[in-house]
Amino acid sequence: MTVDIDDTGGVPVARIKGEVDLKTSPRVRKALLDVLKKRDTLIVDLSNVDYIDSSGVASLVEAYQTARKAGGQVSLAAVSQPALRVLQLARLDQVLPIRDSIESASAEIAE
Amino acid sequence: MTEHEAAPPQPDYLDLVADMTRSFAESQDIDETLRRGLERIVDALDAEAASLFVVSPDGGAVTCHACVGPVDITGLRLAPGEGIVGRAVNANACQMVRDAREDPDFRGMVDAATGFETKSILCAPLAVQDECLGAIEVLNRRGGDGLFTEADARLLDALATSAALALMNARLAQAMVERERVRRELELAADIQRRLLPATGEGPAAVQGINLPAGQVSGDFYDVVVLDDGRVAFNVGDVAGKGMNAALVMAKTASLFRCLVRDTPEPGPLLGRLNGELTETATHGMFVTMVAGIYDPVWRRVTLANAGHEPPLVHDRAADAFQPQEALAPPLGIIADATGAGGWPERTVPLNGAALYVFTDGLTEAQLEDGRMLSADGVAELVRGHNALPPAERVEAVAGRVHGGEGALADDVTLLVVDDGEGGGRS
Repeated sequence: MTVDIDDTGGVPVARIKGEVDLKTSPRVRKALLDVLKKRDTLIVDLSNVDYIDSSGVASLVEAYQTARKAGGQVSLAAVSQPALRVLQLARLDQVLPIRDSIESASAEIAE
Repeated sequence: MTEHEAAPPQPDYLDLVADMTRSFAESQDIDETLRRGLERIVDALDAEAASLFVVSPDGGAVTCHACVGPVDITGLRLAPGEGIVGRAVNANACQMVRDAREDPDFRGMVDAATGFETKSILCAPLAVQDECLGAIEVLNRRGGDGLFTEADARLLDALATSAALALMNARLAQAMVERERVRRELELAADIQRRLLPATGEGPAAVQGINLPAGQVSGDFYDVVVLDDGRVAFNVGDVAGKGMNAALVMAKTASLFRCLVRDTPEPGPLLGRLNGELTETATHGMFVTMVAGIYDPVWRRVTLANAGHEPPLVHDRAADAFQPQEALAPPLGIIADATGAGGWPERTVPLNGAALYVFTDGLTEAQLEDGRMLSADGVAELVRGHNALPPAERVEAVAGRVHGGEGALADDVTLLVVDDGEGGGRS
């Protein structure tokens, strides 16, 4: 599992690849919260997430809550089928902003 | 220490090393023992003053913990690498200074502030293997030419080593006491948690649950409450996350459920009230997935509200089919106004002899011997296999299958059954 942060211009993007589980989710959590210490918006690219468990979902929710409290926004973009299934099953698609692509998430945040 | 070379035989010194090592080993009060040790070092080396510095755990700074001599410098703090003490700590080696004023590392602030005049210095690290815990600094030899000798350095090194071991022992002992305290508190917390959950076998025979914590404390919970009108309210919940934080949120949610259910038994409004309480004091990233329900044994049906929880399964035994009851709304504790005033959406499911299974992802995500996850299909398979058992024994058998008896669980496992079959609800 890797998390790459692209903060070179515009809205920062966190690209998560691989399996997010009890072992790897603390790294996801730290990477996302570290970005949100400096920025109040973040797009999380989940296109290459093969598996995510409840601890991984908790990391995404925590990032979302942290940004929201600071008046910012965390969007999930290009969510892979397995990740989308987990988010939909928990009805978190009713809470977390889920967008088709990084471009559309970015355009929405820029407005 | 065993060298004989140029140094004259020093039987008294050997006795001193042995004696101090013994008193360090027997010490109950490490600071007092170290101070008395310093007194003996000052006597043995015929010095004017001595002080013991300890490296603080947060970084390289050293603080004086004990001292003997005309000036009390206890509490004096030196920056990392500062002074002769800093040099001894950094090099983890004994430093001998013939004339302090000639040494560029010597800091004369104590002399300047007190009128004490430092001349010669001997400073040995408190070394345990490669780790340096601090240093003992001895000032101004009284007799002879006023200079410390190689033999003095060897003696101080030996004494410093036994002081370092004493210090290390005291820290280990303190860490053990702390671990024991934490262990007791965890045990107490686990005990309080167990009391919040019903025991398997208790309560109505038709509605039975089981909770197997992965660690000492659990983030899962369930409850069964018989209402005055004969209906049975129940819940199964799972706090996202692990450990003490999750356990505290679990304790809060489970207590709130028991508190609110008599007043607001209908599952949708009940989840709405729980969400209101939880979001008010929410910790970030701590949310709760939960199924709340009411079983009506007369009308033989359940009414469910599912807050982002793993879909419960309805087992229609006549058709041997399992029907998942997916969540209609998100978990609790994320946003205050998640579903509006009516609370979480409800769904009424006729049972008419069927059984409802509500469980946490600790069960579906449990790893089997071959490394695969059990999954909802696996749960259905286990339920089918144990269908003939009475509800209490059935939940024990199904949950016990992933518990395996030996290896620790990766996640808490909770399973509850509402069985409307023969001998179930109407017994």
